[in-house]
Amino acid sequence: MKIRNKPDGVLGIVAMASIIALSLSGCARDGAGQGNGSGSSPGITDTAITLGVTTPLSGPTAGPGTCTVAGLAAYFGSVNAAGGVEFGDGKTRTVDIKSYDDAYDPQKALSNFQQMVSDGVFAVTSGLGTPTNRAFREAAISQQVPQVLVMTGDPLFSDREESPWQLGFVPIYENEGAAFGKLLAESDAQHKVAILSQNDDYGKGYVAGFKEAIGGAANVSVVGELTYEATDTSVDAQLTQLAASGADVFFNAMSITPLVISSLQKAQQIGWTPSWFLPSNTSSPTAILQPGGAGAYPGIYSVSFSKAPQSPAFAQDADVVKFLADLKQYGNYPDMPAFPHCMWSYMVGATLEEAFKNMTEPTRENFMTALRDIKGLQAPLMLEGTAVDTTTDGQPAVSTVLVQKYDGRGYGTVENFG
Amino acid sequence: MGTFIQLVVDGLSTGSIYAALALAIVLVNQATGLINFAQGGMAVLSAYTAYAFLQLGLPLIVAILVAVVISFLMGAVIERLLVRRFEGGDPDTAVVVTIGLLTLVTGISAVLWGYNNLAFPSLFPLTSVEILGAVVSVRSLATTVTIVAIMVVLQVLFLRTKLGLALRAVADNPGSAAFSGLPVGRLLMVGWGLAAVLGAIAGVLVAPQLTLTPGMLDTALVYALAAVILGGLSSPIGCVVAASAIGVLENLVAVYVPLIGHDLKIAVPFVLIFVILVIRPQGLFGRKVVVRV
Amino acid sequence: MPAMSSVLANKSTRVILIAVVAIALVVAPLILPAFTNQTLVRIGVYAVAVLGLNIVMGYTGQVNLGQIFFVGLGAYVTAYGVNHDWNIILVFVAACVVPGLVGLLVALAAARLGGLAIAMVTIALPIVGVPLAKRLDEFTGGSQGTSARFTDAPDWSGLYNDQWQFYIVLLVTAAAFLLGRSLVRGKYGRAFGVVRENEAVAASMGISPYRTKVLAFTVASIFGGASGFLYLAAVQYTSPETLSFGHSISLVAAMVIGGAGSIAGALIGGAYYVFVPQLTNAIDPNLTTISQGAILLVVLFLLPQGLVSLPRVVRRLFRRRTSRSSLPGNPPQNSPVHQPATDAAREGLEKTERQDRS
Repeated sequence: MKIRNKPDGVLGIVAMASIIALSLSGCARDGAGQGNGSGSSPGITDTAITLGVTTPLSGPTAGPGTCTVAGLAAYFGSVNAAGGVEFGDGKTRTVDIKSYDDAYDPQKALSNFQQMVSDGVFAVTSGLGTPTNRAFREAAISQQVPQVLVMTGDPLFSDREESPWQLGFVPIYENEGAAFGKLLAESDAQHKVAILSQNDDYGKGYVAGFKEAIGGAANVSVVGELTYEATDTSVDAQLTQLAASGADVFFNAMSITPLVISSLQKAQQIGWTPSWFLPSNTSSPTAILQPGGAGAYPGIYSVSFSKAPQSPAFAQDADVVKFLADLKQYGNYPDMPAFPHCMWSYMVGATLEEAFKNMTEPTRENFMTALRDIKGLQAPLMLEGTAVDTTTDGQPAVSTVLVQKYDGRGYGTVENFG
Repeated sequence: MGTFIQLVVDGLSTGSIYAALALAIVLVNQATGLINFAQGGMAVLSAYTAYAFLQLGLPLIVAILVAVVISFLMGAVIERLLVRRFEGGDPDTAVVVTIGLLTLVTGISAVLWGYNNLAFPSLFPLTSVEILGAVVSVRSLATTVTIVAIMVVLQVLFLRTKLGLALRAVADNPGSAAFSGLPVGRLLMVGWGLAAVLGAIAGVLVAPQLTLTPGMLDTALVYALAAVILGGLSSPIGCVVAASAIGVLENLVAVYVPLIGHDLKIAVPFVLIFVILVIRPQGLFGRKVVVRV
Repeated sequence: MPAMSSVLANKSTRVILIAVVAIALVVAPLILPAFTNQTLVRIGVYAVAVLGLNIVMGYTGQVNLGQIFFVGLGAYVTAYGVNHDWNIILVFVAACVVPGLVGLLVALAAARLGGLAIAMVTIALPIVGVPLAKRLDEFTGGSQGTSARFTDAPDWSGLYNDQWQFYIVLLVTAAAFLLGRSLVRGKYGRAFGVVRENEAVAASMGISPYRTKVLAFTVASIFGGASGFLYLAAVQYTSPETLSFGHSISLVAAMVIGGAGSIAGALIGGAYYVFVPQLTNAIDPNLTTISQGAILLVVLFLLPQGLVSLPRVVRRLFRRRTSRSSLPGNPPQNSPVHQPATDAAREGLEKTERQDRS
């Protein structure tokens, strides 16, 4: 309680002020504006264009998050090494990727977006996560910065009126659920379905799509429906409860790799062997189905639009070979990808390149026009029968999915259930 | 009825994951008076170490033993070089140091091994056996038995051995422990080393089920803390009982109380803590601490 | 250095200094780049949350691992109010009162417990809060979260959005810090300190430890709610991820790093919370976890009393240089390499606990 201690508070504020002063380095307001005198948007010069990615690179979703950067970096690393992209205005530019970690925190995603604007990024792309993308969606609209080909199945991003500067990439969750529901409704047999879903928009989307597709079908009934939390360490209780329902089909809208593996193990332990449905991002044959002992079930179904590099069927595929080489050389990702987001972001790269080729002016407006005019693009790694189509309102860049069935090693496309 | 027993058995096996980590937390608390938030992160790093030796071609059990030895050294070194500086200071600062340690250790695991889920082989087979109409895997059963064995060892260590008494004396009052001639510094290192060993065992026990990722034990840590507080910080038996009770109750409440359901079942252990602590502030099995003025 | 201290201690100098800082804060957003303003806005948001945490933890000594819950609650109340066209003043009041009431209820029960038990009860708040926020999707928008824009600059102001937001946040943050400062320097502040040091002594002095803890906890919740209001002013969106448990732990770390039991420390803590992720992103976005952990440990290793003790440690180092002969006895367990910082911190210990309270 001595007076002499008081200046510490003031000195603290002085220290604080100097910290703030440190942060002022660099950026100025004109760098943040929309366009400048020369007529081109920020982030694009005559020789280069800069794209930004904010995605979880740490924390529980870092696995798929890292993939969203690796695939994109792999694609454009290879393109840059070949000289760059020839844009529609006749200039050839290299594509630079700047990545930012948001740890799946909306506040950090917004902060990263603001930093990107200040760093002069032309467009934001490829980032994973619904809340994180939503956190800066309105800021992107008001600053007129493209936020495109993002990895969320949230339909809001593909609604043109609501989201003029956005476009989703992956099929909305409803589409995936509906594809399987349709298959089941067209089956000749009676089916009792048990549903387990992640308690968020991911799980809800799958279930909503599935239920709509089986809406009119007399042969399908839902006999049990439960949820789990993405942070749970075990779903044993849910499986025990659902097994008691006697369902012969198990619709498991689950995005957590270890939980899917332990579900596959647990269900067969307690003697419940239904046919399974698994989402596109948690159906990897090597990372999930083999350790889970999926051979014990009559059928494991999933949906996909991308070739699975782990699958022996595609081991010699030219796309897959080049993709894995690019990923290793430019994506800083030497392992076999365990998450499909690596493939998806590679396709994002191809879609962006297509848009760049059709850009006649180096502006964001022109880019959005070019991006919304892609039809029938067969991006590398895409399965036969699927294509990028950005021209339909309410649908993301990829909206068709194929139902596939596990054959013990990889997947094959199927037309009928059973 | 079959479902009910199955839910209880499932709960016990989930509870054993929490118990494994909880025992390590109890050990470090008994030995140093600290709550170590980094315990889970260190356990994961130990499991990764075992994984690395496994990749080098060592047999599983040897890889685990090597990892256990390395973990002891890691724990002791962390105590000496980092935590020692904060002993006897503000306890909040020490806790935040362990939070920083958790972040750093998680980061190290991520940089060295990435975020992909790595499959870790189990010491025990996945075949299942039937008990009272409920099915349980040999792996869960063996994990539970191992944890109970560790618990007994710890209980004996603390209550019946000289080392245990010395460790507790240092944690209770480092000043008077030093006066009575105990090598305080070395005992603190041993305490951390032993806790890291326990963490390593916990890590390799649960890694086959959860698959190795840098954040493998993040959720389990919260449950383990709950079990530790519920069981009483000073009691290995208490925290194993509490962890099992949490696992079982969560399952039963989620299934039989639809209003709570599977999404809010995580509230169960905390409500339980609250009710029990209001009645018994020292936890289920804890010793009463007399506050001196 | 002593000369400088006496100049700073001089009352009129301090008034001038404060005036200069005030004017600088008002003028700054007009000349600073947008990103700097946006960063300062976020610092304000978290400084208020850390300030509340500091009152209950730093000053009163009650571990609180649930502060982010009150931030999230404040943000949700704000979003709900804005989307239902409430008057903005009413929204702000509700954003403070609702978390305050919840905090009061929790405290009435939790303050009976001590030490780690109270830590576990507070840990439960964000952990149960996340699934609860998903369950109550009528009010919260569920897992997709909810947007509310109410801080776009009005046309008459002629300001950019970031400047307008800066002034809103500055207003609330300044008010919160002035309030917090007078609280901890007054009668209640002394009660907090006594309860922190020894509850039995507090009781013997006629101070009810229970009531004091409840008060500190409630005040912290109100500040958390105010911070939630600011969060929505700055981010304009909130979702269950906002109140995730990890952020609560980060807030505690920020408080200790800034300086427990110090008002200036709360501001520094807020700055730390915002700057470090930006800094680690700039170092290498793939290494953020490892660099964040390393930064935290290095700072605490060098300055166990937090960043706020930096000037004191520096001053002490200077004094040591000039009078090297009068070193006090070396504590045996410390290696000589860290000697100066350790001693400084050690001697700083008694001072920090009293700082800003005299």
